[in-house]
Amino acid sequence: MRRAFSRRRKPWFAIAVTVAFFGMLYLPIVVVALFSLNSQKSLTVFKGFSLRWYRAFFADHDLIGSLGFSLRISAVAMIGSIVLGVALALGIVRSRGKLGSAAGLVLLIPLITPEIVTGVASAMLFKGVGLPLSSGTVMLAEVTFSISYVTVILRSRVAALNPEVEEAAMDLGCSRFQAVRLVTLPALLPAILASAILIFAMVFDDFVLAYFTTGVTPQPLPVRIYSAIRFGVQPTINAVGTLMLIGSIALIGLALLVPRLFGRRESLSQLL
Amino acid sequence: MSETSAVRLDGITKSFGSSVAVDDVTLDIRPGEFFAMLGPSGCGKTTSLRMIAGFADPDSGSVLLGGEDVTYLPPNKRNVNTVFQSYAVFEHLSVADNVAFGLKRRGVPRDERRERVGRMLDLVQLTGMANRRPRTLSGGQRQRVALARALVNRPKVLLLDEPLAALDLKLRRQMQVELKQIQREVGVTFVFVTHDQDEALTMSDRLAVMNGGRVAQVGTPEDVYERPADAFVAGFIGTSNVMTGTYADGRLTLPGGVSLPVPSRLGLAAGSRVGAAVRPEKIWLSDFEDGMVQIRGTLRETVYSGATTTYLVEIAPGVQLSVLEQNIDRSRREERWTGGEIIDLAWKPEHCLLLCETA
Amino acid sequence: MLTREPEVRQDRPTKRRRTRLWSALTLPGTVWMSVFFLSALLLTVALSFGTTDDLGNPHFGSTLANWAQLGEPAYAKVIFRSFVYAGLASVICLLIAYPVAYVIALHGGRYKHALIAAIVVPFFANYLVRMYGWSTVLADDGPVLRAARALGAPPSLTILNTGFGVVAGLVYGFVVFMILPLYAAMERMDVSLIEAGRDLYGGPLRTFLFVTVPSTRQGALAGLVLVFLPATGDFVSAQLLGGPNQIMIGNLIQQKFFDGQNWPLGCALTVLLMALLVVGLSGYLRRSRRDEQEAVR
Ligand SMILES: Nc1ncnc2c1ncn2[C@@H]1O[C@H](COP(=O)(O)OP(=O)(O)O)[C@@H](O)[C@H]1O
Ligand SMILES: [Mg+2]
Repeated sequence: MRRAFSRRRKPWFAIAVTVAFFGMLYLPIVVVALFSLNSQKSLTVFKGFSLRWYRAFFADHDLIGSLGFSLRISAVAMIGSIVLGVALALGIVRSRGKLGSAAGLVLLIPLITPEIVTGVASAMLFKGVGLPLSSGTVMLAEVTFSISYVTVILRSRVAALNPEVEEAAMDLGCSRFQAVRLVTLPALLPAILASAILIFAMVFDDFVLAYFTTGVTPQPLPVRIYSAIRFGVQPTINAVGTLMLIGSIALIGLALLVPRLFGRRESLSQLL
Repeated sequence: MSETSAVRLDGITKSFGSSVAVDDVTLDIRPGEFFAMLGPSGCGKTTSLRMIAGFADPDSGSVLLGGEDVTYLPPNKRNVNTVFQSYAVFEHLSVADNVAFGLKRRGVPRDERRERVGRMLDLVQLTGMANRRPRTLSGGQRQRVALARALVNRPKVLLLDEPLAALDLKLRRQMQVELKQIQREVGVTFVFVTHDQDEALTMSDRLAVMNGGRVAQVGTPEDVYERPADAFVAGFIGTSNVMTGTYADGRLTLPGGVSLPVPSRLGLAAGSRVGAAVRPEKIWLSDFEDGMVQIRGTLRETVYSGATTTYLVEIAPGVQLSVLEQNIDRSRREERWTGGEIIDLAWKPEHCLLLCETA
Repeated sequence: MLTREPEVRQDRPTKRRRTRLWSALTLPGTVWMSVFFLSALLLTVALSFGTTDDLGNPHFGSTLANWAQLGEPAYAKVIFRSFVYAGLASVICLLIAYPVAYVIALHGGRYKHALIAAIVVPFFANYLVRMYGWSTVLADDGPVLRAARALGAPPSLTILNTGFGVVAGLVYGFVVFMILPLYAAMERMDVSLIEAGRDLYGGPLRTFLFVTVPSTRQGALAGLVLVFLPATGDFVSAQLLGGPNQIMIGNLIQQKFFDGQNWPLGCALTVLLMALLVVGLSGYLRRSRRDEQEAVR
């Protein structure tokens, strides 16, 4: 039926809009990448290829320090949110108690809260309890922000598991806890890895929450980029931006690929 | 019988909310026996099995394994293994690691483990598949993995929940024979759940027929087939012609005033509504013998199916009997009968069973 | 018969307790979220009734002064502007996303998933870098305006530092939130409905209006909420594409925290955004529940 339908007249107008949309979606990204290779400082006239802005970036100790800091934040947020989020996903799906369903609802709130609200609220909390903003506070905030994502992604996977598999493990001599460790977690591994990569990429790119919760030094890379953009154009930012784009795209690609490496086909929508 | 039962269910009851899934079930399953639990979908077979395995607690009653009360013992402390309906194979482990799982948990040394796994894979005909991943296996092969994974632990009792239901007919037939052979070879008590009456009759030493959470009848396949305890069992096992009418003095009166002799039952009041059952293959169409119950009817339909032919004969208004005949010399009948004829039927009195009406 | 001896044994195990494992797994995450998220939100609400001393330090209080201040023209104007820009951006996103989702879902064939991935992947790229690239694209000497001028647009036409620039930024930033739910809705849509529509209404436009739009209303509604909420709170777009005269609520909040050091006022603005979230979501939930009931009938 779908084939028959496709052979009908094409909606040329909608196709034109779609093509234009993709053009506009990628144009800014292409411009940034292109001008990161410009030999001149101009952002409008391309004068010839050069790697000078990449060299400038790698020579900038401040920026490199920020990069390292951002990687550390991402790693901590990834590990923390995976540990708490996997446990939550299992607990929420399996426990039929009130705690589980309440937790399930509360976890949806951070996903739809505008980031600036989360940022302000986290900053208020840290200041309220007398915790000076520092590298520790960004990490706490990013873990909090990431838990919801991990839980929501994994929840549907846990719910889709065959409960008989866990019972089979118990039948073969495992306690409930051993069954989870030896059978359920391995079954979830592809989804866990995929969401870990996703969280790493999201936290690495996150600006708003980091902006509100970080101390003065060191600053996460996106916060550094923000001040740089704010106070005038610097072609070095094109180079950093391009590297970050490449990094994010590689990570997302990897996240989409992981389930296939385990021999399972999952559609994008299941992962998102 | 002085021997301890392999499994004893003593008045177990289990409800989910307001619906009773298993209702006061008492069963004794003997050591080494191939025991089937047969019943329509939703009659409580899986729930009973789960209580034996330890995945569910009965609300009341107790579960005994080899004489020991295990009612509230967790599954990993029971010497019972299960073949799940979905097979529940561990996808992340190879076939050999699947089979070795239980041995590993019990701390069986590596060498012995390898040897027992190898022998078990031979037994279920998965030799050479040890290193395969489950997702590369067919349904029948996955089922063998599940069987090997359970049997390798040498359980006292093996529970099987509709293990063949997902297989196609041909493979199912083959597995029925194989399972039976394996059971004889290992000598383990099998408790086999199925909703397929052929499967239960051909495979089991004894079976329990369940209906609505209760046990309707326990016995050998022959008991259950030849002497069904009630109308439900008669109807569920094989096909039966059940004639419903009014009983009086060893006779049953059908609608339209047709009356026929049925086994008399003491204490059954005249005028009670009862059913009488006769199996289609026990009805004769010719060469009657002395002492048979004879009755006359109108041939309504002839259904030819190769080895046999089924005739539908109306003996009273709205009462049709199906009659099964071997096609030994079909041409003879074919010439004579085309439909609409008045023909004679007969059966031996002992093949007619009086069934108490169940609501 | 059987010996009934085991039944009278005194050491019979007592009824097994339900496993506590699931609750134990739920607890740490729940406590974490309560401490670091819920209590943070509550603290923000409380502080929106607070005061600042001469040094700019916040104190809890019970004054409505911060809330009253939001009614002053200087603030009201910004708040109003935020809603207008976010609303415009949502509508423009809807107009763009409908044809895009339609083409991908119904004419994407085997490239469907690749096309959706091609939309989602840049969304994961750094937000700032994307917005920064967008601002160079829309700059006076950027490709868009140069092309427009070559096609005869007046040389005075400018996008950056106008309201349109801000809206363009919001659209670029959040359009993916509109496309995904619409795409999902169109995927679920029964294609034979469209065929029937073609027979019934004839032209593709009428079919689109009478068949496609009603059966994807759920997705459109979800998209509107998902775009409007973050757009209202955004401050990067106004900053990079709108300049000082086009600031939105997000920029005000930022000012109160980083420049003005008036946290209670910043908290009041934040709570306003939260309230908007609650209103938007409950509206969406009520609407979709009604749609479901109608669908059942
Ligand atoms: N976990 C459960 N929750 C609620 N009802 C259940 C549950 N398990 C089984 N039941 C109900 O108990 C009855 C018996 O189920 P089951 O033992 O699975 O039947 P069978 O295996 O014979 O098909 C059914 O009516 C079923 O709906
Ligand atoms: Mg069942």
